[in-house]
Amino acid sequence: MIWLLAASVLGVIAALQQGSLAGGPFRDCEILTYGHIAAAQHNLFVYGWGFNAFFALNLWLLSQLGRFELRNGWLATLGGAVWNLALTYGVIQIFAGNQTGFGLLEFPREVGPVLAVAFLLAGFWPIVAFARRPTGHTFASQWFVVAASFAFPLTYLLAQLLILWQPASGVVQAIAHSWFVSNLLLLWFGASALAAVYYFLPKVLGRTISGYYLAPVAFWSFILFAGWTGPAALIGAPVPLWLQSVGVVAGAMLIIPVIITAINFHGTLSAEGGWSRAWNDTTLRFVSFGAVAFTLFGVLNTVFGFRGYNAVVRFTSFAAGQEQLLTYSFASMVLFGATYFVLPRLTGSRWPSAKLVHVHFWATALGAVASIVALLVGGWENGKQLADASVSFQQVAKAGSTWNTVLCVSAVLLLVGHVAFALNAFGMILKSSAPASAGRHD
Amino acid sequence: MKNLNSLLAGIFLAVAFPFGVLVISSQVQLGSLGPAPAEEGGPLFPSREPGLAIQGRAVYVSLGCVSCHTQQVRPAGQGSDIARGYGVRASVARDYVLQKPVLLGERRIGPDLANYGARAKDVGSVHAAIQHDGQFDFLYTGAKQEVATERAIALAAYLQSLRQDYSSPEAKLKQ
Repeated sequence: MIWLLAASVLGVIAALQQGSLAGGPFRDCEILTYGHIAAAQHNLFVYGWGFNAFFALNLWLLSQLGRFELRNGWLATLGGAVWNLALTYGVIQIFAGNQTGFGLLEFPREVGPVLAVAFLLAGFWPIVAFARRPTGHTFASQWFVVAASFAFPLTYLLAQLLILWQPASGVVQAIAHSWFVSNLLLLWFGASALAAVYYFLPKVLGRTISGYYLAPVAFWSFILFAGWTGPAALIGAPVPLWLQSVGVVAGAMLIIPVIITAINFHGTLSAEGGWSRAWNDTTLRFVSFGAVAFTLFGVLNTVFGFRGYNAVVRFTSFAAGQEQLLTYSFASMVLFGATYFVLPRLTGSRWPSAKLVHVHFWATALGAVASIVALLVGGWENGKQLADASVSFQQVAKAGSTWNTVLCVSAVLLLVGHVAFALNAFGMILKSSAPASAGRHD
Repeated sequence: MKNLNSLLAGIFLAVAFPFGVLVISSQVQLGSLGPAPAEEGGPLFPSREPGLAIQGRAVYVSLGCVSCHTQQVRPAGQGSDIARGYGVRASVARDYVLQKPVLLGERRIGPDLANYGARAKDVGSVHAAIQHDGQFDFLYTGAKQEVATERAIALAAYLQSLRQDYSSPEAKLKQ
């Protein structure tokens, strides 16, 4: 599976770019104006890192669980190459001022179909692996990966069609967009990362998931409610009220899978010194961090869906904080942990430096916590001031500058962590003499 | 769960059903909205945008202004939008029927612009605002960046065209 290596490399590059791009504002430079940087960074993180890394991890997981050997690896590699070329083109276009104005669909519309085809080539293999598995028995990780691999291309195509190719009328574009974003975040990032937690926790601890009989309920309730949560991002917007209410209710119902996964994950970790064992294992240290982050995300998502709280934090950095909690503290930390488990088994060599692993963990963990506190607490304070019409907008902006400093520090911390991770990973890949195409090991 | 087909069918429904209800039915509900008079025989609102404003919207999209500016006024009771002077009434779906693309926005790093055209004093103040204390000087030429480029002129025309201060059938202004 050369593909995993390529994916990690590209993913790391994207993550690196993410860290460095989030740096200071450049004045009077059109290419680097905030509207360009913000869009490029967001897309690089999501499509560059999040997708490449989960393509690889999802395929690896289902190959392991389904005893599947990918024979047409070149197809997946081709898909990956196309995906990354299209992505690069899209990001260049954003910097060149050619973007659409819809978050996470900013790439000019010709990129969409290419990404969709690339996804089918690179991201569809987990479903093949599931279909060809020799045993009748299935495991929670497999359901979540199949859901992610199937739901995303469907969502992406429909959203492309109704937003960019045949735009729906007026605010229906915004409604379709909110539906797309919630599906992307929950059904791709959320479901893929949940699959990884369901796999690595019992695997590394060597015990079964506690309350595993609840996992199917978690799966179906998650899949069932996730698709309805989108309009919660449109509370107060000029869209029909019934839509906003559906979004709020679905967001509240999402607490069901959050509670069940909390029982599954934290229950497993709490038994027989699981937490201390997790802390002493590199993979589990990252994965447990992610599991805690997901629970926190779920609770915040439910509480801040309600109109009263939502009215305060609307239009502030709070939503970005929730997204960061899901895509970084949960999904990316789980991905890091998974890489520490998978990469040595693929390359047949060890991680070159234990120190760099520590740097990676502490820098990303502290950076993630700092950025989330800054975005959430900063967003809340900001919203409180905005709600008071006697405080002028300039005063509000000034009051938020402390949190901006914290954000800059956290971006640097994340960058340091990603550099450490990249050095370690590249070091290992270069060192390994075993051909990466050896396929499945253990 | 062991059967791939039923698993995929379940996932398909979980994607398609919300899409149908949330997106398609709102298209059915809102798709036929068009400019309308608030009262029988009155002027049609929203009115057509001038060509220059349409070019200006392209500049607005291209620069990613939507990352920092929203264009929506929430109803009274949800936040302080009306008290802050962002609009005289809440935005309604009809206000956006002529806009391509619709740029509602999600972040207010800068102020809301739904009614910018209604509150801007003159063209000079619009250009001063576009420059953002020098951040967007690249849209201007001349020794002191005092000459607006074509893009800046179009952008200013677009910003001046942004207004939701008319009565519409859903949101009548109090006389």
